Amino acid sequence: MDFSFSREQVMFKKEVIRFAKKEIVPRVQEHDLNGEFDFQSFRKMGDFGILGLHFPEELGGGGADVVTTVLAGEALGEAGVDGGLTLAYGAHSFLCADTIFRHGTDAQRQHYIPKLASGEWIGCMGLSEPDAGSDVASMSTTATRQGDTYVLNGTKMWITNGPIADVAVVYAKTDPDQQHAGISAFIIDKGTPGFSAGPPLLKMGVRTSKTSELVLNNCVIPAENLLGNEGEGFLMAMQTVEWDRSALLAPFVGSTTYLVKKCADYAKGRVQFGKPIGHYQAIKRKLADMRIFGEAARALVYRIAWCKDQGRPLNHLEAAVAKLFIGDWSLPVTNDAVTLHGGYGYTHEFDVERIFRDTRLAPIGGGTSEVQKMIISRLM
Amino acid sequence: MNYDFSEEAEKLFEAIRSIAATAPAEEDLAGATVDTISAALREMLKTLAGAGYLQDGLAGDASESAVNQMAAMETLAGQARSLFLAVEMSTRVLGRALARWGTGATQEQWREGLLQGQWIGALALSEEAMNVQNDPLATVGSRKDGRVVVSGGKHYVINAPLADKIGVVGLLDDRPAIFMLDAGTEGLSISEPVPTMGYDGIRMADVTLDACVLPEENVLLPPEGTPVLDLLRQWENEVLMAAALGMMQAAFAEARDFAKSHRSGGKPVIAYQEVGFKLSEMLTLYQTAQLLAYRAVWTLKDQPKEGAALIWCAKVFATEAAERVAGDALRILAGQGYRAGSASESAYRAAKWTQIGGISTEIARVRIGDQALGYAPGR
Ligand SMILES: Cc1cc2nc3c(=O)[nH]c(=O)nc-3n(C[C@H](O)[C@H](O)[C@H](O)COP(=O)(O)OP(=O)(O)OC[C@H]3O[C@@H](n4cnc5c(N)ncnc54)[C@H](O)[C@@H]3O)c2cc1C
Ligand SMILES: Cc1cc2nc3c(=O)[nH]c(=O)nc-3n(C[C@H](O)[C@H](O)[C@H](O)COP(=O)(O)OP(=O)(O)OC[C@H]3O[C@@H](n4cnc5c(N)ncnc54)[C@H](O)[C@@H]3O)c2cc1C
Repeated sequence: MDFSFSREQVMFKKEVIRFAKKEIVPRVQEHDLNGEFDFQSFRKMGDFGILGLHFPEELGGGGADVVTTVLAGEALGEAGVDGGLTLAYGAHSFLCADTIFRHGTDAQRQHYIPKLASGEWIGCMGLSEPDAGSDVASMSTTATRQGDTYVLNGTKMWITNGPIADVAVVYAKTDPDQQHAGISAFIIDKGTPGFSAGPPLLKMGVRTSKTSELVLNNCVIPAENLLGNEGEGFLMAMQTVEWDRSALLAPFVGSTTYLVKKCADYAKGRVQFGKPIGHYQAIKRKLADMRIFGEAARALVYRIAWCKDQGRPLNHLEAAVAKLFIGDWSLPVTNDAVTLHGGYGYTHEFDVERIFRDTRLAPIGGGTSEVQKMIISRLM
Repeated sequence: MNYDFSEEAEKLFEAIRSIAATAPAEEDLAGATVDTISAALREMLKTLAGAGYLQDGLAGDASESAVNQMAAMETLAGQARSLFLAVEMSTRVLGRALARWGTGATQEQWREGLLQGQWIGALALSEEAMNVQNDPLATVGSRKDGRVVVSGGKHYVINAPLADKIGVVGLLDDRPAIFMLDAGTEGLSISEPVPTMGYDGIRMADVTLDACVLPEENVLLPPEGTPVLDLLRQWENEVLMAAALGMMQAAFAEARDFAKSHRSGGKPVIAYQEVGFKLSEMLTLYQTAQLLAYRAVWTLKDQPKEGAALIWCAKVFATEAAERVAGDALRILAGQGYRAGSASESAYRAAKWTQIGGISTEIARVRIGDQALGYAPGR
């Protein structure tokens, strides 16, 4: 076994941290309070090469391996980038763009990937529905073949980047009588008649990412917008799980490193009963638990990334273990960070409060902790 | 980066598995005499030495070999709980001290004897304030006519009733030293075995030194400035991490196999979320602790400070996870688990010790916190 990163990877991570601290972090709090998506930062992430990091250079990507890509996500969290922007990045680069890259035709790749990699276009992915979240195979959105077109009807729910996306990968049933095997994936462009996004949902956390319904009302798209073949959609969605359990979880790991530093700085400066609160063992315990969580989570995420780099099929049990651990164990840690800041931690003045709210998504999004337990108990 | 074990490492694990399979069961050791346990331990030490297990990873070998060693230790701990601890205190802790700091023919002989599995060793460190965190050591040696005279008292020394050789940690010339004493040394007395809540097959005792005289070459004097006590605790922590991983592995496997085969209401109990989800959490804790422990020992080689902090993290996480995994296993196994002799029941009792020994989880957390704050340890 070998847990090392290459020199280049370590340097790259440092560069991402530097970039994010300078270009993104100063505006994070303001965007969170206003519930605004930070278009400017998103484009800068594209210019810096983060959005398309793992795509080939000829498509405007950085040609990086998965481990490096995951390191970039960790770096964003470590720099203090909020969970909303990192979620928007994850939905864009992995759930949308990567699906097109993997399953699209050459023409579709040439058309979409360079613009998605640069951030000129924003992507989203619509799988969940109002009545089909954990039980996604029971989705009711349909796609009916009519000559050279498909006609889509239904509603998607909780779609990250939904209101701002230029392109969506949408899952719908081409065979409504089937469960998983009836699901297919389609590319839908913004402005397609019959395709619209609902108003942004007001959310507890990840407020800088825009989330909405996607409504498909007799939405007609060319048949070539089908990704792969009919019935392959569920497998495609499952393939994004690798990214979901590595690159999308990595910012939480980085964010813990950020929290430890933030909390330690606060504890050194805040004096109560005549000494800095950092002198009290109860405060040290909170810092210790934060660090322990971060260190424990780290190898889980990189294990998945490394296996993907080796070209191995995803080990669903290991993926679910990573998601379950980070989802459930990140909450007490961010809760402690708020408590450590006392009343100040409860205000918007300190970003621990936002991190607490952002992290609350970890055991829900991308498959709840209960769903992970269902997977693990089936596979063990 | 590489998350696979080499073929060579897999072979070592296989060898350890077969050796461990021949070990007497934990419940058979529970009421056994000191002689019976001593014989079982000697047999185990000899076979482990033959497999190359005792010598590995002691003298600051490559990081990869430290990970292999940790995984091999976990394998042994999972199958032979008490004998594992006895073996490790003799070799990975006392043997390692000799491998690191030993000089001269006598110390060489001790090292070879322990690491070839010919002798049983014990390390006597703990005193009245056993964590050696807050108070200085009270066991002190003084030089006299080319010899050293040492007095003091030690508590809870694993293997003391069976040991051929006892390393007693104390001060000489105001520096930490390890006084190497033969079991029969005049002035050295060993109490009756101290009964314990768990680890039914270890025998531990209090050790008293009343003006024990030893030749100067029998004093192991690590180079000045070596954080001797911290290192000994760190090595003990590594042992306890492996012990905790082994417990989780055994308790999880026992509970999972039971849940798949035991039926209630017409279906295997694993089909109930109350059971299946518990097992999922147990496996998650186990796999997470395992990777953290591997990464901690791996990091030690090139980044000792960072590695030491990771060992504290892994020690706390793994030993607390072990208690939870064993406790959840007991709930799944229900009546069957609560019977004395189940792997989970004995793991549940033993887990407590892994949290107390080495650096206690309390003190480890304080140290991790101090490091985050940039404070000197133990402020
Ligand atoms: C901010 C945000 C962003 C999101 N982004 C996207 C996106 O970009 N694209 C997308 O497709 N989706 C997205 N989602 C949807 C997300 O994946 C779902 O919310 C999630 O899968 C849970 O589905 P649900 O909300 O319908 O909850 P439900 O499935 O209704 O679950 C409700 C509760 O019941 C539990 N539960 C359900 N079934 C079982 C069972 N069998 N056993 C035990 N417990 C059970 C769940 O764990 C949960 O606690 C997003 C959600 C949020 C909140
Ligand atoms: C089964 C068993 C085997 C053992 N084997 C050996 C052996 O082979 N060799 C050997 O030398 N010793 C051995 N010991 C002793 C063992 O190392 C000590 O029990 C252990 O270090 C804890 O010390 P203590 O019991 O004195 O607790 P104390 O140090 O008195 O601690 C009591 C409580 O206070 C907490 N505490 C203490 N100081 C601080 C602080 N500064 N900050 C925060 N919390 C603190 C502790 O964490 C603990 O919760 C063994 C003990 C047992 C039970």
